[in-house]
Amino acid sequence: MTELELIQGLRNGDEMAFKFLVDNHQDRVYNTAIGIVQNAEDAEDVAQEVFIQVFRSIHTFKGESKLSTWIYRITTTRSLDLLRSRKSKKRFGFLQRLLGDGNEPLYEPPDFHHPGVALDQKENSARLFKAIKGLPDNQKTAFTLHKLEDLSYLEISEVMQTSVAAVESLMHRAKQNLKKILEKETG
Amino acid sequence: MNNEMKRNPEDILNSLNDAKRAGAPDFFYTRLKARMERELINNRNRSWIIRPAYAFAALALVLLVNAFVLLQNNETVTDTGTTDTDYTQSIAADYSLNDNNIYDLNQDK
Repeated sequence: MTELELIQGLRNGDEMAFKFLVDNHQDRVYNTAIGIVQNAEDAEDVAQEVFIQVFRSIHTFKGESKLSTWIYRITTTRSLDLLRSRKSKKRFGFLQRLLGDGNEPLYEPPDFHHPGVALDQKENSARLFKAIKGLPDNQKTAFTLHKLEDLSYLEISEVMQTSVAAVESLMHRAKQNLKKILEKETG
Repeated sequence: MNNEMKRNPEDILNSLNDAKRAGAPDFFYTRLKARMERELINNRNRSWIIRPAYAFAALALVLLVNAFVLLQNNETVTDTGTTDTDYTQSIAADYSLNDNNIYDLNQDK
């Protein structure tokens, strides 16, 4: 099935086309989401939301970019939205603890281990993921897409709707910031 | 020594270089379809509320109930205007508050 046929099928509400889309994109969507949200259950939730959004808004896709680029864009947006809502919940929980009778300790997620990382790199990658949490959203997106999805700077610039030079700058600053965070952590 | 190597920020930064893509969990499509069907049913159940006919009917009902309650209240006020005074006076009589008060008693002395 070509991309044009796939898009046409999705616009017609064809279930076979939808299954083809999910089968071909589920891993890249899930891998991107898990890299950003750093939790398997949340990543599956985000991945489901992404495909539901694609199915519902395929008529708004103008075909100016590749379908995969559009799907990456939805995935990163949805993942960052989840992080934002998680952060606001955490803030609210902290306030509740301060003002109310909350004696329960605040939930601190354990270190995240990406399922695709080799055993000898698990410890280092867990440290890296922890540091990635401290990056601004756009640096986090660029770094994750480059490192986990192996996207080129050109492809990242299409996903983020920016220039290649801007992506280069984002990647440079992301690495600098990560180094600072890691150096502080390792002392 | 090995630990020192692992703690080098540059090594940590490169730790994702050979990472493989994480695959979506098994039966992802089945769960996705189930969720979509569930959402579709929920939307159908909810959609009748936002139909104009139902919305206007609900609004008319609310206005009707409000008008009815207002009218009823007006009638009660005019009906019980005098009986309220009687009731107060009877309570005052029961507790001997009507005629004498503490100052009158002192004057008598």
